[in-house]
Amino acid sequence: MEFLTALINGLSSGGTYAIIALGYTMVYGIARMLNFAHGDIIMVGGYAMYVTLLLAGHPLIALAAAILFCTLLGVTVEKLAYKPLRGASPLAVLITAIGVSFLLQSLAQIVFGSSPKMPVKLQIPGAVSLGTFKIDYSTLITLAVTVVIMTALTLFIKYSKTGRAMVAVSEDRDAALLMGINTNAIITITFAVGSALAAVAGYLMLMKAPSLSNTLGAMPGIKAFTAAVIGGIGSIPGAMVGGILLGVVEALSFSVPALAPFTEAVEFSILIIVLLVKPSGILGKARREKV
Amino acid sequence: MKKLFAIALAVLMIAGSCMAFASCKKDGETIKIGVSGPLTGDAAVYGVAVKNAAQMAVDEINEKGGLNGIKFELIVTDDQHDANKVSTNYANMMDKGMQVSLGCVTSAPCLEFAKYSKEDNLFFLTPSASADAVPTDANAYQMCFADGNQGAVAADYVNGLGLSSIGIFYLTDDPYSKGIYDQFKANLDEGIETVEATFTKATSSDFTQQIETLKDCTFIFMPIYYTPASLFMTQAKDKIAATATYYGCDGFDGIESAEGFDINAIPQKISMLSHFNSKATEGKAKEFVDKYVAKYGKDTLNQFGAAAYDCVYALFGAMTKAIEAGKTVDANTTATEMCEILKEQFNGGYTFDGATGTGIKWKSTGFVDKTAIAYEIKPNTTPAA
Amino acid sequence: MMNMQKARSFVKTYLNYLVIGALLLVFALLSLTGNMSSGNLYLLEKIAIAIVLAISLSMVVGFLGELSLGHAGFMCVGAYVGGKISVLLVEALGNGILAVALSLLVGGIAAALFGVIIGLPALRLRGDYLAIVTLAFGEIVRTLVMNLPETLFGGTLGLESPRYDKKHLFIVGFVCVLLCLAVIQNLIKSKHGRAIKSIRDNEIAARTMGIDITRYKLFVFTVSSFFAGVAGVLYSYSNYRIQSANFDYNYSIEILVMVVLGGMGSINGSMVAAALITFLNVKLQTLLTGDLAVLQNLLYAAILIVIVIYKNAPGLKGFRERYNLKTLIQRLSGKKQLPEAAEESGKEDA
Repeated sequence: MEFLTALINGLSSGGTYAIIALGYTMVYGIARMLNFAHGDIIMVGGYAMYVTLLLAGHPLIALAAAILFCTLLGVTVEKLAYKPLRGASPLAVLITAIGVSFLLQSLAQIVFGSSPKMPVKLQIPGAVSLGTFKIDYSTLITLAVTVVIMTALTLFIKYSKTGRAMVAVSEDRDAALLMGINTNAIITITFAVGSALAAVAGYLMLMKAPSLSNTLGAMPGIKAFTAAVIGGIGSIPGAMVGGILLGVVEALSFSVPALAPFTEAVEFSILIIVLLVKPSGILGKARREKV
Repeated sequence: MKKLFAIALAVLMIAGSCMAFASCKKDGETIKIGVSGPLTGDAAVYGVAVKNAAQMAVDEINEKGGLNGIKFELIVTDDQHDANKVSTNYANMMDKGMQVSLGCVTSAPCLEFAKYSKEDNLFFLTPSASADAVPTDANAYQMCFADGNQGAVAADYVNGLGLSSIGIFYLTDDPYSKGIYDQFKANLDEGIETVEATFTKATSSDFTQQIETLKDCTFIFMPIYYTPASLFMTQAKDKIAATATYYGCDGFDGIESAEGFDINAIPQKISMLSHFNSKATEGKAKEFVDKYVAKYGKDTLNQFGAAAYDCVYALFGAMTKAIEAGKTVDANTTATEMCEILKEQFNGGYTFDGATGTGIKWKSTGFVDKTAIAYEIKPNTTPAA
Repeated sequence: MMNMQKARSFVKTYLNYLVIGALLLVFALLSLTGNMSSGNLYLLEKIAIAIVLAISLSMVVGFLGELSLGHAGFMCVGAYVGGKISVLLVEALGNGILAVALSLLVGGIAAALFGVIIGLPALRLRGDYLAIVTLAFGEIVRTLVMNLPETLFGGTLGLESPRYDKKHLFIVGFVCVLLCLAVIQNLIKSKHGRAIKSIRDNEIAARTMGIDITRYKLFVFTVSSFFAGVAGVLYSYSNYRIQSANFDYNYSIEILVMVVLGGMGSINGSMVAAALITFLNVKLQTLLTGDLAVLQNLLYAAILIVIVIYKNAPGLKGFRERYNLKTLIQRLSGKKQLPEAAEESGKEDA
């Protein structure tokens, strides 16, 4: 019974990781960069929701505002900080992303102060009872949202023109350019989608745990990055699998008292084990270098 | 290669100019109090509270004419709760002429600070670094209760309740939480069963799993700070029995004013053992709360600030006493002289009334001697349907 | 004429040693005669530690071409093992130079062992996969050390370990810098170094040439971990207490920033960048106190982004050639010619 509860909790927090990991994985697949600032987009989304809640009041309006704001922010950051470096060494881009992460965090502290905010209006109380077994509404919503996003994104990639262009750019950027695909536009769209997903993830996180500070996104960001790699970075179903796996492991580890203090170590060990067995992640494609 | 040389030269020039800049600063017009705390980063809310409250006390003292006309000056440096940044902050404050200090806001950096201050024999009275090892040396004093002491007192209280089983919720990678927990467990009656749930700093927001573990407990001891505590309570309000009690230590202070936290929506009883009541209706605690809220808002109101406010006044009071006893305390008193003068006062029966207690005294070990107030923040209520 | 050339090439080869040696001599004299403030002594300690870290990481990132985000993890191993040894040695030998040398060695070896343990499986992975595994390793080490029994490594409050005399510690630190430089620079210039660089440039071609890639990768990883461990021991001597919380991935990233800003594959560049970034951070920390403290990270981040874009953006090449340190110095010294083709900054192999 306890195991089952932990499993369901894990599935739900794993869903959140998966949504963040999608942002990582898409950006990685298309722009070939580790966007270390991705976690901080979540945090900015959180503050956007907080401000909207003060003004408008309804959580869904707040979510919409956050999605809009994060999308704009993602695109702006891409234009100002990453685009000038297109064609430069990937490490330079990585460092810039880290700079952007610091920048967003300290701006948030300057604007909103150091004490954590509690946007409790985002909470959805209550639970479904199945006999003695209870599942929170928030858990169910998270799971549902994850599945919907996953499906929508897969359909979008598979059947829309933009989606297929994304695949083309991630396969071979130069060839895609020659085929008449506007690679710059595709990269911008990818950042927009990734950032919008980050806003949704922020909503899910705050719905369960309404505590908002300027470091909200830092650790979930790293964990989601880990999840993306476990699943095979660049692969969209992989991000899903990795996120869920990580969430379940985390919840199970927390449910065992002796293991609980070591939870981070356990999570990161899973990553190492998976990569040892399958060096390109669970669903990642092994890249064969052509000579 | 030439370029490299040029760069090295440039570095030298910058370094040289900065060193020259740093070494010519020492004016003897004010009494300088230094403090290092987390003004940025995860623990910023505590450091900012100390900065604000200490500044408020200094401003008040200066408005009333200072110490026989000599004004106080506060130097606050940022250590981001990182012990490795302490040496730089310490040297920086000494360069600026620090004569007496509030040490560090948090425990781990303060242990580092204690060693440096021992070398220079600099007196410090920390508002909130509560690790038992902080006042090891003769120049170090605490305004807050030491962790071990709090754990033992809390265990005594729980032993007297006649419970057969309790829940404990604590943070494993934090010295404050772990320190209280260890002593609490050591002093708890063996007959009392414990159900334990823990969290770590990196996973400190979604407590679904921990609440699941603790859901059948009717009494939960939570030696943690109010930010995760309020979050736990918000998430657990209809999962843990409405008749249950949350019991915390001084870390709970400020929970009523945590922004966005609606304490009345929590059906469970919340009580704590502390030295400061931010809901006080009389006395110095109320005075402090009113002034702080008027100046900085409710946002960062907590016991860290109250203790820092008291620290400044306690130092001021001890200096006044020393002057009455014929000592000289002014802007030119060196750190060592100041330390000896203050040690004599603090070890010699000096008592102080402040926002965090009345009749506060210090033991020669540096630990504070004051009564912990056990009080109820709110009783059990029926949840609004 | 021959002699002149010989002397020039000698200076050219050993210029970095000479510069560091000369600076060390000046600072050591100042320190031993009591003319250095504590703040500056601490700053020099931090700079020495940062340089050792940056050089050792640049070996992996700049010369081997693999991304490591777990350098702080190896440093953590060195700091705790070295710190623990130094606690024991102080009782036996006193807090003298012998105890320091021994714990530096032991801490380095411990970290090198971890380098082998992690390197053996991890080096099968490529690029960003290796990066995340090293990051994971660092976080695992940190979590384990914190949760080990308090009697062993001090638990949440960290391990109390002796601090070395502040007047001398930075000298020890810079001696370590010189040793690290000597080992790594000679290694890079040897035939092994060429093999390592060939792996970076084209792994398949290198393999075809009969270079044992796994062995070389592991070798580089181990040497690099050794010096990270040495830096960790220096760190433990520059604090009264080692705290595992400090060795998080942000620290690894800070070291990586130094290497990248210094120019990939440039040891001298890494050293200069390490010194400048440490200097910048400490100055921001000491100048921005009180209400201004919130600006520290903002300024640091802004400076970081601007420098990286300035140095790397393909679109700014012309701008870079027109306005750089070299032309600035030429202009200041009155020589007003525009450079024909200013060399790309920080690209030369040290």
